[in-house]
Amino acid sequence: MITLQLLINGVALGAAYALVALGFVLVLNATSAVNFAQGDLVMAGGLLAVALAPHIPLPGIALLPLTILLMAALGLILALAAYLPLRNRPPVGVFISTIATGIILQNGATILFGPEPRAAPPLFSGGTVSVGGLTVAEQSLAIIAVAAILIAAQQWVFARTQLGRRLRATAQDPEMARACGVPVTAMILVTFALGTAYAGAAGLLLANRYFVTPTAGGDLILKAYIAVTIGGWGSVPGAVVGALLIALFEVGVSSVLSYPVALGALYATLLVILVARPQGLFGEAARRRA
Amino acid sequence: MTEPLLTAPLLSIDGLTASYGGATALHGISLSLRAGEAVALLGANGAGKSTLLKTILGLIPASAGRVQLDGDDITNLATERRVRRGLGYVPEGRRVFPGMSVRDNLEVASPLGRADRARDVERVFTLFPALAEKTADQAWRLSGGQQQMLAVGRALMGRPRLLLLDEPSLGLSPKLAGEVFTAVRAIAAEGTTVLVAEQSAARALSATSRAVLLRLGRIVHDGPADSLPQETLREAFLGG
Ligand SMILES: Nc1ncnc2c1ncn2[C@@H]1O[C@H](COP(=O)(O)OP(=O)(O)OP(=O)(O)O)[C@@H](O)[C@H]1O
Ligand SMILES: [Mg+2]
Repeated sequence: MITLQLLINGVALGAAYALVALGFVLVLNATSAVNFAQGDLVMAGGLLAVALAPHIPLPGIALLPLTILLMAALGLILALAAYLPLRNRPPVGVFISTIATGIILQNGATILFGPEPRAAPPLFSGGTVSVGGLTVAEQSLAIIAVAAILIAAQQWVFARTQLGRRLRATAQDPEMARACGVPVTAMILVTFALGTAYAGAAGLLLANRYFVTPTAGGDLILKAYIAVTIGGWGSVPGAVVGALLIALFEVGVSSVLSYPVALGALYATLLVILVARPQGLFGEAARRRA
Repeated sequence: MTEPLLTAPLLSIDGLTASYGGATALHGISLSLRAGEAVALLGANGAGKSTLLKTILGLIPASAGRVQLDGDDITNLATERRVRRGLGYVPEGRRVFPGMSVRDNLEVASPLGRADRARDVERVFTLFPALAEKTADQAWRLSGGQQQMLAVGRALMGRPRLLLLDEPSLGLSPKLAGEVFTAVRAIAAEGTTVLVAEQSAARALSATSRAVLLRLGRIVHDGPADSLPQETLREAFLGG
């Protein structure tokens, strides 16, 4: 039974990682920009939830819409300040500007909240529920449900709506998208808003069980990066699956050995994958990304 | 400025110049297209056909001169705004969105609501029945000819007043190229103005009534398609 509980905790962690990786890969596809601030944006979303909680004395789930909205606005600012001015320059410019954004977020968070760890309220009661004789943390199930809904919403928008078609066309061939009448710059802004909103949602989901500190982002961006690498650079479903695998690996190895060992093994695995299968575990996604 | 609107051409290009870095590819091109005209843009490799179409569209900035569409100066508009005003573009090499389905490739290029979009998709399928059997297929799975039809259909989804086609027969078998040009003729017959760049003069001239000959970024001939002197054609392609 312990293993099943571990599995649920692993999937919950993976579901939150999946949101982070999803936001990362959407921006990557739309702009070819590696957003190194994505981890710090998760941290910002977590601290935002911490800050909002006293003003909204309701379960944590009530903070989700506002967190998403405010983080989307932050994503627009990120795009306007750190991406658009540099879009026609060598890619290293955006590298540096997103790293700088991350540093600004970290220091801003330290000034506003101090360095000590904070926790956001649980999504619902924070208790446990028993499912078929099994006691599981309600928070884990809630995280899985919320992340699944957000991922499904992204899939639906991209597959079924005209906005989604325009976002995909922008990612696949921005010049041709313009020539089809698609307002590409607006689509890039939307993508940054979406990617940042999903980072913020992940921050809220994680910030109850895993305390947030201003420096928590470094770990998260590495995991998002690994998820996207093993999922096939540019593949959206690959990023989600990659994130789940990483979390299961992390939870599994930590339970037997320890978290530092899990992290070390994870980075070693990344190196092996980069060397042995640079196209990712799931093959040739990057070229024909959907 | 006081010209009566009725005689104003649909597209009017005046002294258009464009360059890549230091190399000038278009030297002060002036050209007018009347509404409903079908015009072939001929010239050898490197003559500047693609550059002219891209500059009309705004994908390449003009360093001098201006472009007017239906009397409005569009020289400084973003490409997507020009498209919204009535330009349609079929690029060299098709450039369909590879990871999107045939239907999504078409729908994405429409500015209209769901119902009108669906109606326009059906119109494209009527023009290109081969696409109708592939609606859900991803575009990279299509054959070259089907991709070309998709690229033409996609450009039509914006309901263009002026359709710019860049070598639509490139790399196609004679039979498929013939089908594409049959479609071009049908599009022109419905009143859409067409400017089609081609290297193979014969095919382009079969679908057009006027030929413009480019050489080294300059117009060297402009006249009715059926009276294009062989001598001029040869010169434009072979130099001399
Ligand atoms: N991306 C580019 N960078 C630099 N020079 C270019 C570029 N594209 C075209 N040129 C140059 O501009 C000139 C016109 O090229 P363009 O592609 O317009 O010719 P074209 O008539 O379309 O030829 P083709 O029939 O081969 O397609 C050529 O001298 C070409 O070398
Ligand atoms: Mg060309």
